[in-house]
Amino acid sequence: MIERATETPVRRTTLQRLLSRFHFGITLFAVALSGITILLAGVTALRGYADRNLELAARLGAYGAEPALVFNDPLAARDGIEPLTEIAGIARLRVLDDRGRVLTGWTSPNPDPAPLLTHLVFPRPYAIPVRRNGSVIGTVEVWGDSSTMNDYVRLGLLAGLGCLLVTALGTIVLARRFEYELVKPLGEIATVAHDVRLHRRFDKRVKPLGIAELDRLGGDINALLDELQGWQGHMESERAILEHRASHDPLTTLPNRAAFDRQLAERIAAAERRGGRFVLLFCDADNFKAVNDEYGHAVGDRVLVAVSTCIRNGLRKGDFAARIGGDEFVVIVDPLDAEADPGALIRRIKDCVSDPIALPGGDEQYRPSISVGAAVYPDDGSDSAALLTVADAGMYADKMTSGER
Amino acid sequence: MLGSLFLSGILAVAQPVAVQTANQTIVEDGADGMARAVNRMVGGIISYVRWPESPAAAARNLCIVGSPTITASIAPSIAGGLPVTVHRLSPAAVSVRKDCDILFLGRMAVADRQRLIGWVRGRAVLTISDDDPDCLHGAMFCLSARAGRLGFSVNLDAIGRGPLRVDPRVLKMGQNDGSAT
Repeated sequence: MIERATETPVRRTTLQRLLSRFHFGITLFAVALSGITILLAGVTALRGYADRNLELAARLGAYGAEPALVFNDPLAARDGIEPLTEIAGIARLRVLDDRGRVLTGWTSPNPDPAPLLTHLVFPRPYAIPVRRNGSVIGTVEVWGDSSTMNDYVRLGLLAGLGCLLVTALGTIVLARRFEYELVKPLGEIATVAHDVRLHRRFDKRVKPLGIAELDRLGGDINALLDELQGWQGHMESERAILEHRASHDPLTTLPNRAAFDRQLAERIAAAERRGGRFVLLFCDADNFKAVNDEYGHAVGDRVLVAVSTCIRNGLRKGDFAARIGGDEFVVIVDPLDAEADPGALIRRIKDCVSDPIALPGGDEQYRPSISVGAAVYPDDGSDSAALLTVADAGMYADKMTSGER
Repeated sequence: MLGSLFLSGILAVAQPVAVQTANQTIVEDGADGMARAVNRMVGGIISYVRWPESPAAAARNLCIVGSPTITASIAPSIAGGLPVTVHRLSPAAVSVRKDCDILFLGRMAVADRQRLIGWVRGRAVLTISDDDPDCLHGAMFCLSARAGRLGFSVNLDAIGRGPLRVDPRVLKMGQNDGSAT
Protein backbone atom coordinates (compact mmCIF):
# COMPACT_ATOMS: atom_id res chain seq x y z
CA MET A 1 0.00 0.00 0.00
CA ILE A 2 2.70 2.43 1.04
CA GLU A 3 4.86 1.35 -1.85
CA ARG A 4 2.08 2.00 -4.31
CA ALA A 5 1.53 5.42 -2.83
CA THR A 6 5.17 6.36 -3.28
CA GLU A 7 5.10 5.06 -6.83
CA THR A 8 2.36 7.44 -7.90
CA PRO A 9 4.05 9.42 -10.69
CA VAL A 10 4.32 13.17 -10.38
CA ARG A 11 2.23 14.80 -13.10
CA ARG A 12 4.72 16.19 -15.54
CA THR A 13 4.06 18.60 -18.36
CA THR A 14 6.22 19.79 -21.20
CA LEU A 15 7.22 23.39 -21.58
CA GLN A 16 5.35 23.53 -24.84
CA ARG A 17 2.12 22.38 -23.27
CA LEU A 18 2.59 24.86 -20.45
CA LEU A 19 3.22 27.73 -22.85
CA SER A 20 0.35 26.72 -25.07
CA ARG A 21 -1.96 26.61 -22.07
CA PHE A 22 -0.85 30.08 -20.99
CA HIS A 23 -1.18 31.44 -24.50
CA PHE A 24 -4.60 29.97 -24.93
CA GLY A 25 -5.77 31.33 -21.62
CA ILE A 26 -4.54 34.84 -22.29
CA THR A 27 -5.77 34.95 -25.87
CA LEU A 28 -9.11 33.47 -24.91
CA PHE A 29 -9.50 36.07 -22.21
CA ALA A 30 -8.65 38.88 -24.64
CA VAL A 31 -10.95 37.58 -27.35
CA ALA A 32 -13.80 36.97 -24.94
CA LEU A 33 -13.38 40.40 -23.40
CA SER A 34 -13.28 42.25 -26.72
CA GLY A 35 -15.99 40.03 -28.19
CA ILE A 36 -18.38 40.63 -25.31
CA THR A 37 -17.59 44.35 -25.34
CA ILE A 38 -18.26 44.61 -29.06
CA LEU A 39 -21.40 42.50 -28.76
CA LEU A 40 -22.74 44.61 -25.89
CA ALA A 41 -21.81 47.86 -27.63
CA GLY A 42 -23.40 46.57 -30.82
CA VAL A 43 -26.58 45.48 -29.04
CA THR A 44 -26.80 48.84 -27.30
CA ALA A 45 -26.27 50.77 -30.54
CA LEU A 46 -28.65 48.49 -32.40
CA ARG A 47 -31.22 48.90 -29.67
CA GLY A 48 -30.91 52.65 -30.03
CA TYR A 49 -31.49 52.35 -33.76
CA ALA A 50 -34.38 49.98 -33.21
CA ASP A 51 -35.94 52.46 -30.78
CA ARG A 52 -35.52 55.26 -33.31
CA ASN A 53 -36.96 52.99 -35.97
CA LEU A 54 -40.02 52.26 -33.83
CA GLU A 55 -40.42 55.91 -32.97
CA LEU A 56 -40.25 56.90 -36.64
CA ALA A 57 -42.67 54.14 -37.52
CA ALA A 58 -45.04 55.31 -34.80
CA ARG A 59 -44.78 58.92 -36.01
CA LEU A 60 -45.44 57.81 -39.58
CA GLY A 61 -48.42 55.81 -38.32
CA ALA A 62 -49.68 58.80 -36.35
CA TYR A 63 -49.45 60.98 -39.46
CA GLY A 64 -51.19 58.42 -41.64
CA ALA A 65 -53.89 57.56 -39.15
CA GLU A 66 -54.68 61.13 -38.13
CA PRO A 67 -57.58 61.82 -40.59
CA ALA A 68 -58.92 58.34 -39.90
CA LEU A 69 -59.07 59.22 -36.21
CA VAL A 70 -60.75 62.54 -37.02
CA PHE A 71 -63.36 60.78 -39.15
CA ASN A 72 -63.49 57.75 -36.81
CA ASP A 73 -62.89 55.50 -39.81
CA PRO A 74 -61.33 52.05 -39.20
CA LEU A 75 -60.70 51.37 -42.89
CA ALA A 76 -58.83 54.61 -43.37
CA ALA A 77 -56.89 53.88 -40.20
CA ARG A 78 -55.92 50.54 -41.64
CA ASP A 79 -54.76 52.30 -44.84
CA GLY A 80 -52.92 54.85 -42.72
CA ILE A 81 -50.78 52.27 -40.98
CA GLU A 82 -50.37 50.15 -44.11
CA PRO A 83 -46.86 51.51 -44.93
CA LEU A 84 -45.67 50.51 -41.45
CA THR A 85 -46.37 46.84 -42.02
CA GLU A 86 -43.52 46.67 -44.53
CA ILE A 87 -40.94 47.96 -42.04
CA ALA A 88 -38.82 45.15 -40.60
CA GLY A 89 -38.71 44.73 -36.84
CA ILE A 90 -42.36 45.60 -36.11
CA ALA A 91 -44.38 42.85 -34.45
CA ARG A 92 -47.69 44.56 -33.79
CA LEU A 93 -49.50 47.85 -34.46
CA ARG A 94 -52.58 49.41 -32.88
CA VAL A 95 -54.50 52.64 -33.44
CA LEU A 96 -56.56 53.75 -30.44
CA ASP A 97 -59.05 56.60 -30.41
CA ASP A 98 -59.22 59.30 -27.76
CA ARG A 99 -61.28 57.05 -25.51
CA GLY A 100 -58.82 54.17 -25.75
CA ARG A 101 -60.91 52.01 -28.04
CA VAL A 102 -59.08 50.10 -30.73
CA LEU A 103 -59.81 51.55 -34.17
CA THR A 104 -57.61 49.12 -36.05
CA GLY A 105 -54.76 46.75 -35.36
CA TRP A 106 -52.20 44.64 -37.19
CA THR A 107 -50.02 41.73 -36.09
CA SER A 108 -47.01 40.56 -38.06
CA PRO A 109 -47.58 37.19 -39.72
CA ASN A 110 -43.93 36.30 -39.08
CA PRO A 111 -43.38 34.64 -35.70
CA ASP A 112 -40.98 36.33 -33.33
CA PRO A 113 -37.63 34.51 -33.66
CA ALA A 114 -36.60 35.15 -30.06
CA PRO A 115 -39.48 36.13 -27.75
CA LEU A 116 -37.15 36.28 -24.76
CA LEU A 117 -34.87 38.79 -26.49
CA THR A 118 -37.90 40.81 -27.57
CA HIS A 119 -39.19 40.82 -24.02
CA LEU A 120 -35.78 41.96 -22.83
CA VAL A 121 -35.18 44.67 -25.41
CA PHE A 122 -38.73 45.90 -26.12
CA PRO A 123 -40.68 45.30 -22.93
CA ARG A 124 -43.27 47.99 -23.77
CA PRO A 125 -44.82 49.20 -27.02
CA TYR A 126 -43.79 52.55 -28.39
CA ALA A 127 -46.85 54.80 -28.05
CA ILE A 128 -47.20 58.11 -29.90
CA PRO A 129 -50.20 60.31 -29.23
CA VAL A 130 -51.99 61.67 -32.33
CA ARG A 131 -52.68 65.36 -32.01
CA ARG A 132 -55.05 67.48 -33.99
CA ASN A 133 -55.08 71.25 -33.37
CA GLY A 134 -53.31 70.73 -30.06
CA SER A 135 -55.63 68.10 -28.55
CA VAL A 136 -54.99 64.38 -28.42
CA ILE A 137 -57.39 62.49 -30.65
CA GLY A 138 -55.84 59.05 -30.41
CA THR A 139 -52.73 56.93 -29.95
CA VAL A 140 -50.60 54.79 -32.25
CA GLU A 141 -48.82 51.87 -30.52
CA VAL A 142 -45.93 49.98 -32.09
CA TRP A 143 -44.44 46.76 -30.68
CA GLY A 144 -40.94 45.91 -31.84
CA ASP A 145 -39.66 42.42 -32.41
CA SER A 146 -36.17 40.99 -32.17
CA SER A 147 -35.71 39.94 -35.82
CA THR A 148 -32.95 42.47 -36.59
CA MET A 149 -31.42 42.13 -33.14
CA ASN A 150 -31.55 38.37 -33.37
CA ASP A 151 -29.59 38.37 -36.62
CA TYR A 152 -26.95 40.59 -35.08
CA VAL A 153 -26.62 38.49 -31.92
CA ARG A 154 -26.47 35.28 -33.94
CA LEU A 155 -23.84 36.76 -36.26
CA GLY A 156 -21.93 38.06 -33.25
CA LEU A 157 -21.92 34.66 -31.58
CA LEU A 158 -20.85 33.00 -34.82
CA ALA A 159 -18.03 35.51 -35.24
CA GLY A 160 -17.06 34.86 -31.62
CA LEU A 161 -16.91 31.15 -32.32
CA GLY A 162 -14.78 31.81 -35.41
CA CYS A 163 -12.47 33.98 -33.32
CA LEU A 164 -12.21 31.17 -30.80
CA LEU A 165 -11.18 28.76 -33.53
CA VAL A 166 -8.59 31.22 -34.85
CA THR A 167 -7.40 31.69 -31.29
CA ALA A 168 -6.92 27.97 -30.81
CA LEU A 169 -5.02 27.64 -34.09
CA GLY A 170 -2.95 30.72 -33.36
CA THR A 171 -2.12 29.40 -29.93
CA ILE A 172 -0.88 26.13 -31.38
CA VAL A 173 1.27 27.96 -33.91
CA LEU A 174 2.63 30.30 -31.25
CA ALA A 175 3.40 27.40 -28.95
CA ARG A 176 5.23 25.63 -31.78
CA ARG A 177 7.19 28.78 -32.42
CA PHE A 178 7.99 29.08 -28.74
CA GLU A 179 9.03 25.49 -28.59
CA TYR A 180 11.38 26.09 -31.47
CA GLU A 181 12.83 29.24 -29.95
CA LEU A 182 12.93 28.27 -26.30
CA VAL A 183 12.70 24.53 -25.90
CA LYS A 184 15.30 23.79 -28.57
CA PRO A 185 18.09 25.85 -26.94
CA LEU A 186 17.16 24.36 -23.58
CA GLY A 187 17.39 20.93 -25.19
CA GLU A 188 20.88 21.79 -26.45
CA ILE A 189 21.98 22.72 -22.94
CA ALA A 190 20.47 19.49 -21.63
CA THR A 191 22.28 17.48 -24.35
CA VAL A 192 25.61 18.97 -23.37
CA ALA A 193 25.00 18.29 -19.67
CA HIS A 194 23.90 14.73 -20.47
CA ASP A 195 26.98 14.11 -22.64
CA VAL A 196 29.29 15.37 -19.94
CA ARG A 197 27.67 13.29 -17.22
CA LEU A 198 27.39 10.08 -19.21
CA HIS A 199 30.48 10.12 -21.46
CA ARG A 200 32.81 12.37 -19.43
CA ARG A 201 33.12 14.60 -22.50
CA PHE A 202 34.52 17.56 -20.58
CA ASP A 203 35.54 19.24 -23.83
CA LYS A 204 31.87 19.80 -24.83
CA ARG A 205 30.58 23.37 -24.60
CA VAL A 206 27.19 25.05 -24.90
CA LYS A 207 27.03 27.14 -28.10
CA PRO A 208 25.66 30.72 -28.00
CA LEU A 209 21.84 30.49 -28.13
CA GLY A 210 20.75 34.09 -28.79
CA ILE A 211 18.55 34.36 -25.70
CA ALA A 212 20.13 36.42 -22.94
CA GLU A 213 18.91 34.34 -20.00
CA LEU A 214 19.77 31.04 -21.66
CA ASP A 215 23.15 32.36 -22.76
CA ARG A 216 23.89 33.28 -19.15
CA LEU A 217 22.94 29.78 -18.09
CA GLY A 218 25.02 28.33 -20.94
CA GLY A 219 27.95 30.55 -19.96
CA ASP A 220 27.74 29.36 -16.36
CA ILE A 221 27.63 25.77 -17.50
CA ASN A 222 30.62 26.36 -19.77
CA ALA A 223 32.59 27.93 -16.92
CA LEU A 224 31.71 24.96 -14.73
CA LEU A 225 32.86 22.62 -17.50
CA ASP A 226 36.13 24.57 -17.82
CA GLU A 227 36.73 24.03 -14.12
CA LEU A 228 35.77 20.38 -14.32
CA GLN A 229 38.09 19.89 -17.28
CA GLY A 230 40.94 21.52 -15.35
CA TRP A 231 40.33 19.29 -12.35
CA GLN A 232 40.07 16.25 -14.55
CA GLY A 233 43.45 17.00 -16.28
CA HIS A 234 45.11 17.73 -12.97
CA MET A 235 43.79 14.51 -11.47
CA GLU A 236 44.91 12.49 -14.48
CA SER A 237 48.47 13.80 -14.40
CA GLU A 238 48.56 13.33 -10.64
CA ARG A 239 47.44 9.78 -11.05
CA ALA A 240 50.03 9.13 -13.77
CA ILE A 241 52.75 10.46 -11.50
CA LEU A 242 51.54 8.30 -8.65
CA GLU A 243 51.28 5.30 -10.92
CA HIS A 244 54.81 5.85 -12.22
CA ARG A 245 56.07 6.32 -8.70
CA ALA A 246 54.43 3.10 -7.59
CA SER A 247 55.90 1.02 -10.38
CA HIS A 248 59.30 2.67 -10.88
CA ASP A 249 62.52 3.02 -9.01
CA PRO A 250 63.22 6.68 -8.33
CA LEU A 251 67.02 6.40 -8.60
CA THR A 252 67.38 4.64 -11.96
CA THR A 253 63.86 5.36 -13.22
CA LEU A 254 63.61 1.69 -14.20
CA PRO A 255 60.46 -0.26 -13.32
CA ASN A 256 60.51 -1.82 -9.86
CA ARG A 257 59.93 -5.31 -8.52
CA ALA A 258 56.16 -5.08 -8.56
CA ALA A 259 56.14 -3.89 -12.19
CA PHE A 260 58.54 -6.66 -13.14
CA ASP A 261 56.39 -9.35 -11.49
CA ARG A 262 53.35 -8.20 -13.48
CA GLN A 263 55.40 -7.94 -16.69
CA LEU A 264 56.92 -11.39 -16.33
CA ALA A 265 53.53 -12.99 -15.70
CA GLU A 266 52.13 -11.24 -18.80
CA ARG A 267 55.10 -12.28 -20.98
CA ILE A 268 54.78 -15.89 -19.85
CA ALA A 269 51.08 -15.89 -20.64
CA ALA A 270 51.69 -14.27 -24.04
CA ALA A 271 54.53 -16.64 -24.94
CA GLU A 272 52.43 -19.60 -23.87
CA ARG A 273 49.56 -18.43 -26.07
CA ARG A 274 51.62 -18.04 -29.19
CA GLY A 275 54.24 -20.77 -28.39
CA GLY A 276 57.11 -18.27 -28.40
CA ARG A 277 60.31 -18.18 -26.44
CA PHE A 278 62.11 -15.45 -24.43
CA VAL A 279 65.15 -15.01 -22.26
CA LEU A 280 65.29 -13.77 -18.68
CA LEU A 281 68.60 -12.20 -17.63
CA PHE A 282 69.46 -11.70 -13.99
CA CYS A 283 72.21 -9.08 -13.37
CA ASP A 284 73.92 -8.31 -10.11
CA ALA A 285 76.64 -5.74 -9.41
CA ASP A 286 79.82 -7.35 -8.08
CA ASN A 287 81.14 -6.31 -4.66
CA PHE A 288 78.41 -3.72 -4.37
CA LYS A 289 78.36 -3.92 -0.55
CA ALA A 290 82.09 -3.29 -0.49
CA VAL A 291 81.80 -0.28 -2.83
CA ASN A 292 79.13 1.18 -0.59
CA ASP A 293 81.21 0.63 2.50
CA GLU A 294 84.47 1.76 0.99
CA TYR A 295 83.50 4.76 -1.16
CA GLY A 296 80.12 5.71 0.25
CA HIS A 297 76.53 5.45 -0.91
CA ALA A 298 76.95 8.22 -3.51
CA VAL A 299 79.38 6.10 -5.44
CA GLY A 300 77.11 3.05 -4.98
CA ASP A 301 74.24 5.05 -6.45
CA ARG A 302 76.38 6.11 -9.38
CA VAL A 303 77.26 2.45 -9.99
CA LEU A 304 73.57 1.56 -10.01
CA VAL A 305 72.74 4.45 -12.42
CA ALA A 306 75.62 3.39 -14.70
CA VAL A 307 74.40 -0.22 -14.76
CA SER A 308 70.83 0.82 -15.48
CA THR A 309 71.97 3.15 -18.29
CA CYS A 310 74.01 0.35 -19.88
CA ILE A 311 71.11 -2.10 -19.65
CA ARG A 312 68.66 0.42 -21.09
CA ASN A 313 70.97 1.26 -23.99
CA GLY A 314 71.29 -2.39 -24.96
CA LEU A 315 67.56 -3.08 -25.13
CA ARG A 316 65.49 -3.60 -28.27
CA LYS A 317 62.00 -2.13 -28.59
CA GLY A 318 60.02 -5.00 -27.08
CA ASP A 319 62.52 -5.82 -24.34
CA PHE A 320 61.97 -4.98 -20.68
CA ALA A 321 64.33 -4.10 -17.84
CA ALA A 322 63.73 -3.54 -14.11
CA ARG A 323 65.59 -3.03 -10.85
CA ILE A 324 64.18 -5.59 -8.45
CA GLY A 325 66.47 -5.22 -5.47
CA GLY A 326 69.45 -3.24 -4.09
CA ASP A 327 71.90 -4.16 -6.84
CA GLU A 328 69.81 -6.69 -8.77
CA PHE A 329 68.51 -6.00 -12.27
CA VAL A 330 66.47 -8.17 -14.59
CA VAL A 331 66.07 -8.00 -18.35
CA ILE A 332 63.46 -9.78 -20.46
CA VAL A 333 64.63 -10.27 -24.04
CA ASP A 334 61.42 -11.07 -25.83
CA PRO A 335 60.96 -12.69 -28.29
CA LEU A 336 63.95 -15.00 -28.56
CA ASP A 337 64.32 -15.24 -32.32
CA ALA A 338 67.05 -15.10 -34.91
CA GLU A 339 67.67 -11.40 -34.37
CA ALA A 340 68.01 -11.72 -30.59
CA ASP A 341 71.49 -12.54 -29.37
CA PRO A 342 71.50 -12.74 -25.56
CA GLY A 343 75.20 -13.58 -25.46
CA ALA A 344 76.12 -10.44 -27.38
CA LEU A 345 73.77 -8.39 -25.25
CA ILE A 346 75.38 -9.66 -22.05
CA ARG A 347 78.83 -8.88 -23.40
CA ARG A 348 77.72 -5.43 -24.49
CA ILE A 349 76.24 -4.65 -21.08
CA LYS A 350 79.33 -5.95 -19.22
CA ASP A 351 81.56 -3.92 -21.51
CA CYS A 352 79.56 -0.79 -20.93
CA VAL A 353 79.40 -1.26 -17.19
CA SER A 354 83.19 -1.61 -16.96
CA ASP A 355 83.70 2.06 -17.91
CA PRO A 356 85.54 3.68 -14.99
CA ILE A 357 83.75 5.89 -12.48
CA ALA A 358 85.66 8.81 -10.92
CA LEU A 359 85.86 8.55 -7.18
CA PRO A 360 85.39 11.68 -5.03
CA GLY A 361 88.43 13.39 -3.55
CA GLY A 362 91.16 12.06 -5.84
CA ASP A 363 92.24 10.83 -9.24
CA GLU A 364 91.36 7.27 -8.32
CA GLN A 365 88.83 5.48 -10.47
CA TYR A 366 86.58 2.55 -9.84
CA ARG A 367 85.66 0.00 -12.51
CA PRO A 368 82.38 -1.67 -11.62
CA SER A 369 81.46 -5.11 -12.96
CA ILE A 370 78.36 -7.24 -13.02
CA SER A 371 77.51 -10.93 -13.05
CA VAL A 372 74.73 -12.14 -15.32
CA GLY A 373 72.69 -15.35 -15.37
CA ALA A 374 70.12 -16.33 -18.01
CA ALA A 375 67.03 -18.51 -18.19
CA VAL A 376 65.08 -19.39 -21.32
CA TYR A 377 61.30 -19.84 -21.40
CA PRO A 378 60.07 -22.54 -21.76
CA ASP A 379 63.37 -24.54 -21.78
CA ASP A 380 64.40 -23.61 -18.20
CA GLY A 381 60.95 -23.30 -16.69
CA SER A 382 57.37 -22.35 -17.44
CA ASP A 383 56.63 -20.10 -14.45
CA SER A 384 58.28 -17.01 -13.05
CA ALA A 385 59.66 -18.64 -9.91
CA ALA A 386 61.41 -21.42 -11.88
CA LEU A 387 62.80 -18.95 -14.42
CA LEU A 388 64.07 -16.64 -11.66
CA THR A 389 65.67 -19.55 -9.83
CA VAL A 390 67.50 -20.70 -12.93
CA ALA A 391 68.63 -17.18 -13.83
CA ASP A 392 69.69 -16.50 -10.26
CA ALA A 393 71.69 -19.72 -10.23
CA GLY A 394 73.33 -18.76 -13.57
CA MET A 395 74.26 -15.33 -12.13
CA TYR A 396 75.71 -16.92 -9.07
CA ALA A 397 77.79 -19.30 -11.18
CA ASP A 398 79.00 -16.29 -13.24
CA LYS A 399 79.95 -14.45 -10.04
CA MET A 400 81.95 -17.50 -8.86
CA THR A 401 83.90 -17.75 -12.10
CA SER A 402 84.65 -14.01 -12.21
CA GLY A 403 85.67 -14.13 -8.56
CA GLU A 404 88.15 -16.88 -9.36
CA ARG A 405 89.69 -14.85 -12.07
CA MET B 1 -44.51 60.45 -48.53
CA LEU B 2 -46.41 63.70 -48.44
CA GLY B 3 -45.11 64.64 -51.88
CA SER B 4 -46.14 61.38 -53.41
CA LEU B 5 -49.61 61.78 -51.94
CA PHE B 6 -49.83 65.26 -53.46
CA LEU B 7 -48.66 63.88 -56.74
CA SER B 8 -51.25 61.13 -56.73
CA GLY B 9 -53.87 63.75 -55.89
CA ILE B 10 -52.83 65.88 -58.87
CA LEU B 11 -52.81 62.84 -61.15
CA ALA B 12 -56.29 62.01 -59.91
CA VAL B 13 -57.42 65.56 -60.76
CA ALA B 14 -56.26 65.06 -64.33
CA GLN B 15 -58.53 62.09 -64.81
CA PRO B 16 -61.77 62.83 -66.64
CA VAL B 17 -64.11 61.21 -64.10
CA ALA B 18 -62.60 61.86 -60.72
CA VAL B 19 -65.57 61.26 -58.47
CA GLN B 20 -64.84 58.87 -55.65
CA THR B 21 -67.17 56.70 -53.66
CA ALA B 22 -67.31 57.07 -49.93
CA ASN B 23 -65.50 55.38 -47.13
CA GLN B 24 -67.28 54.43 -43.93
CA THR B 25 -67.42 56.18 -40.61
CA ILE B 26 -68.57 54.40 -37.48
CA VAL B 27 -72.08 55.59 -36.64
CA GLU B 28 -73.01 55.14 -33.02
CA ASP B 29 -76.34 53.73 -32.00
CA GLY B 30 -78.98 56.04 -30.57
CA ALA B 31 -81.29 58.77 -31.78
CA ASP B 32 -78.64 61.39 -32.38
CA GLY B 33 -75.89 58.99 -33.49
CA MET B 34 -76.20 59.93 -37.14
CA ALA B 35 -76.33 63.67 -36.33
CA ARG B 36 -73.10 63.38 -34.29
CA ALA B 37 -71.46 61.39 -37.06
CA VAL B 38 -72.44 64.00 -39.69
CA ASN B 39 -71.21 66.87 -37.56
CA ARG B 40 -67.96 65.07 -36.82
CA MET B 41 -67.43 64.35 -40.51
CA VAL B 42 -68.23 67.93 -41.62
CA GLY B 43 -65.94 69.25 -38.88
CA GLY B 44 -63.20 66.86 -39.97
CA ILE B 45 -63.50 67.94 -43.59
CA ILE B 46 -63.40 71.63 -42.62
CA SER B 47 -60.34 71.05 -40.45
CA TYR B 48 -58.39 69.52 -43.35
CA VAL B 49 -59.17 72.34 -45.79
CA ARG B 50 -56.90 75.40 -46.06
CA TRP B 51 -58.29 78.70 -47.25
CA PRO B 52 -55.80 80.85 -49.06
CA GLU B 53 -55.01 84.27 -47.55
CA SER B 54 -56.61 83.32 -44.27
CA PRO B 55 -55.13 81.99 -41.05
CA ALA B 56 -55.66 78.30 -40.42
CA ALA B 57 -57.39 78.83 -37.09
CA ALA B 58 -59.79 81.57 -38.18
CA ALA B 59 -63.50 81.29 -37.49
CA ARG B 60 -65.56 79.98 -40.41
CA ASN B 61 -69.05 80.73 -41.60
CA LEU B 62 -71.05 77.71 -42.67
CA CYS B 63 -74.07 78.58 -44.77
CA ILE B 64 -76.77 75.96 -45.14
CA VAL B 65 -78.74 76.25 -48.34
CA GLY B 66 -81.76 74.08 -49.03
CA SER B 67 -82.90 71.38 -46.60
CA PRO B 68 -80.34 68.88 -45.30
CA THR B 69 -81.41 65.29 -45.91
CA ILE B 70 -79.34 63.22 -43.47
CA THR B 71 -79.77 65.29 -40.33
CA ALA B 72 -81.39 68.62 -39.67
CA SER B 73 -79.10 69.67 -36.81
CA ILE B 74 -75.96 70.72 -38.57
CA ALA B 75 -73.37 71.96 -36.02
CA PRO B 76 -69.89 70.84 -37.02
CA SER B 77 -67.68 69.72 -34.12
CA ILE B 78 -64.00 70.24 -34.67
CA ALA B 79 -61.31 68.84 -32.39
CA GLY B 80 -59.24 71.75 -31.10
CA GLY B 81 -62.26 74.02 -30.88
CA LEU B 82 -62.11 75.97 -34.19
CA PRO B 83 -65.35 77.96 -34.10
CA VAL B 84 -67.81 77.48 -36.96
CA THR B 85 -70.85 79.70 -37.15
CA VAL B 86 -73.88 78.17 -38.86
CA HIS B 87 -76.20 80.32 -40.98
CA ARG B 88 -79.27 79.23 -42.86
CA LEU B 89 -79.67 81.11 -46.14
CA SER B 90 -81.81 81.03 -49.23
CA PRO B 91 -80.00 80.33 -52.49
CA ALA B 92 -80.29 83.95 -53.53
CA ALA B 93 -78.84 85.30 -50.27
CA VAL B 94 -75.52 83.52 -50.70
CA SER B 95 -74.16 85.84 -53.34
CA VAL B 96 -75.40 88.81 -51.35
CA ARG B 97 -73.72 87.86 -48.05
CA LYS B 98 -70.40 86.96 -49.66
CA ASP B 99 -68.83 85.88 -46.34
CA CYS B 100 -69.76 82.18 -46.54
CA ASP B 101 -66.64 80.04 -46.23
CA ILE B 102 -68.53 76.79 -46.49
CA LEU B 103 -71.69 76.06 -48.42
CA PHE B 104 -73.69 73.10 -47.14
CA LEU B 105 -75.99 72.15 -50.01
CA GLY B 106 -79.16 70.36 -48.94
CA ARG B 107 -82.04 69.37 -51.16
CA MET B 108 -82.97 72.25 -53.52
CA ALA B 109 -84.07 73.03 -56.99
CA VAL B 110 -81.67 71.89 -59.72
CA ALA B 111 -81.43 75.41 -61.18
CA ASP B 112 -80.51 76.89 -57.79
CA ARG B 113 -77.87 74.25 -57.29
CA GLN B 114 -76.31 74.81 -60.69
CA ARG B 115 -76.31 78.56 -60.12
CA LEU B 116 -74.59 78.15 -56.73
CA ILE B 117 -71.99 75.74 -58.11
CA GLY B 118 -71.28 78.18 -60.92
CA TRP B 119 -71.01 81.07 -58.42
CA VAL B 120 -68.55 79.12 -56.25
CA ARG B 121 -66.25 78.35 -59.13
CA GLY B 122 -62.97 80.25 -58.65
CA ARG B 123 -63.91 81.44 -55.13
CA ALA B 124 -62.42 80.18 -51.87
CA VAL B 125 -65.61 78.44 -50.82
CA LEU B 126 -65.89 74.83 -49.75
CA THR B 127 -69.00 73.01 -50.96
CA ILE B 128 -70.46 70.03 -49.14
CA SER B 129 -73.60 68.28 -50.36
CA ASP B 130 -75.70 65.64 -48.59
CA ASP B 131 -78.13 65.11 -51.47
CA ASP B 132 -75.73 63.72 -54.08
CA PRO B 133 -74.46 60.20 -53.06
CA ASP B 134 -72.47 59.77 -56.29
CA CYS B 135 -71.03 63.29 -56.09
CA LEU B 136 -71.80 64.11 -59.72
CA HIS B 137 -73.38 67.56 -59.37
CA GLY B 138 -70.32 69.68 -58.72
CA ALA B 139 -69.98 69.78 -54.90
CA MET B 140 -66.45 69.18 -53.59
CA PHE B 141 -67.43 66.79 -50.79
CA CYS B 142 -70.57 64.65 -50.77
CA LEU B 143 -71.94 62.92 -47.69
CA SER B 144 -73.89 59.71 -48.14
CA ALA B 145 -75.78 57.67 -45.58
CA ARG B 146 -76.67 54.15 -46.65
CA ALA B 147 -78.06 51.45 -44.43
CA GLY B 148 -77.13 53.31 -41.26
CA ARG B 149 -73.58 54.00 -42.39
CA LEU B 150 -72.07 57.36 -43.19
CA GLY B 151 -69.34 58.07 -45.70
CA PHE B 152 -68.02 60.84 -47.90
CA SER B 153 -66.74 61.14 -51.47
CA VAL B 154 -64.46 63.68 -53.02
CA ASN B 155 -64.97 65.41 -56.33
CA LEU B 156 -61.41 66.05 -57.32
CA ASP B 157 -62.42 68.08 -60.40
CA ALA B 158 -64.38 70.51 -58.26
CA ILE B 159 -61.52 70.83 -55.77
CA GLY B 160 -59.01 71.24 -58.54
CA ARG B 161 -60.95 74.15 -60.04
CA GLY B 162 -60.97 76.16 -56.78
CA PRO B 163 -58.17 77.79 -54.84
CA LEU B 164 -58.78 75.67 -51.72
CA ARG B 165 -56.15 73.22 -50.58
CA VAL B 166 -57.26 69.93 -49.15
CA ASP B 167 -54.99 67.61 -47.16
CA PRO B 168 -53.99 64.76 -49.47
CA ARG B 169 -54.68 62.22 -46.74
CA VAL B 170 -58.33 63.24 -46.82
CA LEU B 171 -58.39 63.16 -50.62
CA LYS B 172 -56.97 59.67 -50.40
CA MET B 173 -59.64 58.65 -47.90
CA GLY B 174 -62.29 59.98 -50.24
CA GLN B 175 -60.79 58.00 -53.10
CA ASN B 176 -61.23 54.61 -51.38
CA ASP B 177 -63.47 52.78 -53.78
CA GLY B 178 -66.44 50.69 -52.79
CA SER B 179 -64.56 47.45 -53.06
CA ALA B 180 -62.95 48.05 -49.67
CA THR B 181 -66.37 48.08 -47.99
